[in-house]
Parts: sequence; structure tokens; C-alpha cells
Amino acid sequence: MNGNTGKIVNVDLTAGKMTVETLPEEYYRKYIGGSGLAAKLFWERGNFAADPLSPEAMLLFMNGPFAGLRLSGASRNSVAGCSPLTGHWGDSSCGGFFAPELRYAGFDGLILTGKAAKPSILLIVDDKVTVEDGSAYWGKGTDEVTAALKAKYGKDYRTLVIGPAAEHLVRYTMILNDGHHATGRAGFGAVMGSKNLKAIVIKATKKDMMLADPAAFDVLRKDLNVRIKDALASDVLHENGTAANLMGGVYSGDVPVKNWTSNFWEEAADALTGSTLTDNYLTRRGACAYCGIACKRYVEVKDGPYAIPDGPGPEYETIVAFGTLIGSIDLAATCKAGRVCNDLGLDSISAGGTIAWAMEAFERGDLTLTDTGGVELKWGDLDTVINRVLPMISRREGKLGELLADGSVAAAKKIGKGLDYTVHSKGLEAPMHDPRGGGHGMALTYAMSPRGACHVADPMLFVEMGARYYPEIGFDFMLEPKTGENKAEAAVMSVALGAIENSACFCQFADAEVTIPDWLALFNTVAGYGWEAKDMMAAGKRVFFLKRLINYRYGLTSADDCLTPRMLEPGKDGEAEGSQVDLEPMKARFYELMDIDPVSGIPTPAALAALGMADEAKHVA
Amino acid sequence: MEFWKDEAEPIKAFLALFAASAADPELFEGLKKVNQLIWFDYTESGPNCSFYVDARGGELKFGAGKPADPPDLTMSLSADDAHRSWSDKLNPVMAITRKKIRVKGSATGLLKLAPKLKKVAAIYLKVLKDLGWEDKIIK
Repeated sequence: MNGNTGKIVNVDLTAGKMTVETLPEEYYRKYIGGSGLAAKLFWERGNFAADPLSPEAMLLFMNGPFAGLRLSGASRNSVAGCSPLTGHWGDSSCGGFFAPELRYAGFDGLILTGKAAKPSILLIVDDKVTVEDGSAYWGKGTDEVTAALKAKYGKDYRTLVIGPAAEHLVRYTMILNDGHHATGRAGFGAVMGSKNLKAIVIKATKKDMMLADPAAFDVLRKDLNVRIKDALASDVLHENGTAANLMGGVYSGDVPVKNWTSNFWEEAADALTGSTLTDNYLTRRGACAYCGIACKRYVEVKDGPYAIPDGPGPEYETIVAFGTLIGSIDLAATCKAGRVCNDLGLDSISAGGTIAWAMEAFERGDLTLTDTGGVELKWGDLDTVINRVLPMISRREGKLGELLADGSVAAAKKIGKGLDYTVHSKGLEAPMHDPRGGGHGMALTYAMSPRGACHVADPMLFVEMGARYYPEIGFDFMLEPKTGENKAEAAVMSVALGAIENSACFCQFADAEVTIPDWLALFNTVAGYGWEAKDMMAAGKRVFFLKRLINYRYGLTSADDCLTPRMLEPGKDGEAEGSQVDLEPMKARFYELMDIDPVSGIPTPAALAALGMADEAKHVA
Repeated sequence: MEFWKDEAEPIKAFLALFAASAADPELFEGLKKVNQLIWFDYTESGPNCSFYVDARGGELKFGAGKPADPPDLTMSLSADDAHRSWSDKLNPVMAITRKKIRVKGSATGLLKLAPKLKKVAAIYLKVLKDLGWEDKIIK
């Protein structure tokens, strides 16, 4: 098979049994790879009745077709399955260095089921996959475990590690690659934890890959690598990281403040923006495998209450989630909070979102000292957040730790108050982009995203900024962000493009420079599909539809394509003042354009048949 | 050109804009934070149609033509699109994506100025009125 290895390895941790399997090429043509291929395999093999934290649950690690091919931004991987946070389909993308290694080992994917009898490590050395004793690492932070694994096996072994929070089955836990790169969202760290799997360690040496047209690909790859590196956005990201434009976001109203009660905190613009991180704390820049952008940060906070040694620095999402969202503009504190989240293995977006909800609940009196076990929750009190709340959550310790360990929605349900000021879609806490300021189209795609509120399921965030333009497929929108005009039309293409990005496992920062002809040339030179634009867009749409069908099997309908009341309130201040998302008309138009049934929320049989999904249609008929 | 009768007009307007902006304390501070030498290259609208802003070292200087030093950032576009841009009628991100604006060099400094563009546009409006060019104001 060209482009992909065609092979996945199935690991039954209960039996300690590994089987290598060859997938039909049709699967790749129809679902590309990454989260699309994961959805296809989950659709066929997933146990939809299983608790996501039970041995029966399936956890999938999937590469895209360009993994390891030395193309900037194209060596990410996807982790997928049933999210323990939301109870339905979840996927989470990660950069770092795992994907190339898996490909060099001869696999496009890894599927885990079962539960090891004791804490374990999965060791992959080329095509040899073994389960090793991981007891010595259980209970320890990701930092220590990553260092210990690299000391034991070698620095060039790549690691995926969970933290103590995942061992305690906290439902928004991540998987950390090489101590820096997070598979953050949807709680898959806890799925590994539930399987007694502390880490995956991988090393490969083969690198033999079949491409349809290696010479043509190499020309394209070199050209794209230069264009991606030289792009204006890449320069900005390299210089000041993913928070480079936080200042612009503050002024547009995109940056949420105090659990989305405000869209504007002017002092945050200077205090938290990427250039301030660069000036005050940056020690060096880093990159994911083969990426020329190098947007990753290493930081050191030399003194003060939030002093941390040189190590991984926070991304935009962490800076806002532990900054304005919880009432702080202390950048050193966000650096430390990010480091603590990494070590404990917590998704900083859901952690920040859940804590912000709890702070508002405490302020309102919906949460009391009795509920929190005596912990006072005050806006901007990062000392308490870092030193008490995060560790308590990670161990489900005390009333507060137990309350917040399942996320904001579960916490609100548990206390019977505050559901109206949770900020999520489909149970996934929203990322740090407020559509009232950033763009109403993003509200639509938050609501439509199969995994829940997500800014990377598709490129709508960039579309509304004006940073995406694909005239070859009619994607030529001049959008006014703070209205609903033409957003459904843009979303139709955006969700398909997003599905292509996440199935090809291509970074949204890097692939901004990839035109439609480039995308086609990539698929055709690597995998030899002979695709035209309509074929590629159909694959994207197919992936989007399949994830919706999976959710339908979990009981989700169009009623779940919604946002919470807080997100639908008018913006109160700054440029977003008065900006109110009118979701329902956008949603109705989107369904109409996508041929999605407005009640069930799934595509009509005709829409599915047009994409070669008649069998899937029968399953949900 | 849609808005200008010759290549001298836009430069006159834009230099007046920067003079007025420099007189505004908030914008003056904002411009200094850019800390770059920027060449606004509108030569596609005429060989002498360009100006520079030098915000390096805590000072602010500007003048017609290409700067003597190599610029940290060059923004190339037409004088008409520059007029739209300073009037806040052109989404700069969209214009860059569509290659209406070509950027060479580091744009990190400009990001600090971007949130101030609405205020710059208000000053530009006044500058155009002061120059007696109300007919050039984009409604």
C-alpha cells in the first residue's frame, strides 16, 4: 500500500496479546487516516454499551498518511474513542514525536482494549510489541516518569505518559508525549489509566515507506516546507508562540474573562500576550517532528511564588484558561499552572473551564465552604488553584477534588445548581475563543463538532479572521465575524476541511499554506489516490458524517447540537458588547445545506448514499 | 487609481496621518512598542509612492520614500488598498491571505499596533477632512 503502512496493531491488555492486522485500502481512501480512520474502526468494532473507563472500551491511536515524511506540521497523530468526559465520540490531536515513530515501526495505528492486571508499559520496538511492568512508575508525575523512561530505554525512545490524575480516572486527563506535547482533550488519559497503562514507549529504525510518486512528493515537500516556514503567520508563531495574537484577541472580544462573564480585560492584552512571554520567560523555542515553524515554548520563571525551572511553556489555551478565564493576568502563574497540569496529566482547557465555573458558583453562593471542604474559591487566586485545587482534583481528594474531577457539567448536576453558567457543547468545556468576539460561525461549529465545543475540529476560527481562502472549491467568503451571515455556508466547507486536516493529522498552523491543489498533490503523490477536489472534499464530509452517526448510536440528536445559555448571552463589554449569537437560524441552514435531518441530527439516507455510506445508513435506519 | 489623482496624494495623506497619530499619546506609545523600521511600499501605484515609519529605539520618525536602512518589515500593496486599510475598510488578514497585501519580514511588532487600527482610522478620517479631501472618505 502506498502512503500508509496499511497495518495496525491490536493490543488486548487483559490477555497480553498482540495481533497485527492489514486494513483494506478502501478504508484509507474513504476515511483518510487519523481521526477519520479511527472513526471507521470504532464504528465497526466499538462496544457502544461499554463504559469508556471499562476494559471493554477501545482506545485508538491513529496516524495520518504523511506521518514521518519530513513535511512541516504533518506528523501529528489522533487519539480517539468514547470520551469519559462526554460519554460519546471523542478525538484529540497531538503533535510531538509519536506519529513518525509509529510509522517507522510499520504501523498506522494502535488499538488498545482490555485491562492489564497491574500497572504496565507498552513497549514498541520496531514491530515487536510487548507489555512491561510499570509498577515503579504508577503514582508519579509525567515529568519524573518521562525522565525515568528515557533514562531506562534511551533518550531517542519516544514516550506517551499519563499523570496521577489519569490513574484516578479524572475525566479530563491527557496523554503527554515526551513531556511536552499533549493529547489534551476529551479525557483519554483516564482511558489509559483505566487500563492500567501508565505509558507507551516506542522506538523504530526501519523508515521504509512506500509512496506512489516519491520524486514528485519530494519536490512538493521541499516547496511546502519553505512556504510554510516563510509564511507570515509562521513567523509570528515562531517568534511569540501560539499566544502571539492574544493581544488582538483581547481587543476583538475573543478572549473569555471570568467564566465568560466578560469579553474584555484590557490589561490582559499586554500582560499575557505572546511577546510578553518571550520577553520575560522564554528560554528557547521548540518544534514538533519535522516542523519548520517551531511554535513551542520553553520557559523559566526565575523567582517569586510561581518560580519554575526551564521546561515546557504554556500554549495560548493554557495562558487564557489559567489567566483571564479564572480572573488573573499573572503570566508567571499561568506558566506554573500549565507545568502543574502537565505533571498531573490534566487537560488545561477543561481544568481551567471547570475551575472558572466553580469560582463563579462560589461567588454566587451556589458552592459553599461546606461543598468545597473549606477551600475558598476566589477569582484570580492562583495560589489556591495551583497548590490546592489542581492537586486535589488530580487525586479526587476531599469534597472539592471529587466534585470537580468529572468536569463542570457533572459538578453542576451534582450540586443541582449552576448548569446555566457552564460553558460547553456536548459536555466538552469550550476552548479559549469566545464566538461573541471571535466570530459567530465558531459558535455554529462549536455546536456541530462531534466531540463537543472545539476550535480545532475545523478551521472556522481562521475562516472568520479571513485567514483561509480556497477559491478552487468556492471557498471565497468575506465574512463579518460578529454576525451569522453566510456562516452556515462557510461551515459546510469548514467542517469537511477540518475533517480532512484531522484525518490527515496536519497542523492547522502549518496547513494554512497548503492550497487545495497542494492537498490533492499530497494525497496523490503519497497515496496515489488520483483524487480531484470533489473526491477529497467528499472524504472530509464522510468523516464528519460518520462521527455524527457514532454519536447518534450514543443517543445524541440535533438537540445536542447546542450551546449553553452563557454562550448565547449578548457580549457585555469591549468590541463584543451587544454581540449575540443567533444559533438556531445558522443551525437550520447548516442542516439544510448538509442534508441533515433536523430532528435526528444525522444525515439523510440519500446524503449518506451519495457518499458511499449506504451500509452505515442501514445501521441507523 | 480609484481614490488618488497622482502618487503624491496618498503619501501626503499617510504622512499627515502618522504626524497626527504621533501627537496622540496612546498611539504614540503604541507605535513605539512596534520597535521596527517599516517600509509601506505602494510602488505598484507609482515609483515614488511609498513611505516609512521608523519606530526603533523608543523614537518615532517617518518620511516619504524608501528608508536608508534595510526595513525590518515591508508591506507592499496598492495605494488604493492602503487607503481602504487606513480607513479600516480592509481586513488586513483577509488581504494578506488573498495576496492583496504582501508582507516581507517580521510582523510581530505590527500585531501590537493592530488593536489600535480603529483609532487610527478615526484620526485618518479627520486628516482627510483637514486636507479638504472629504470626497475620498469611504462611506
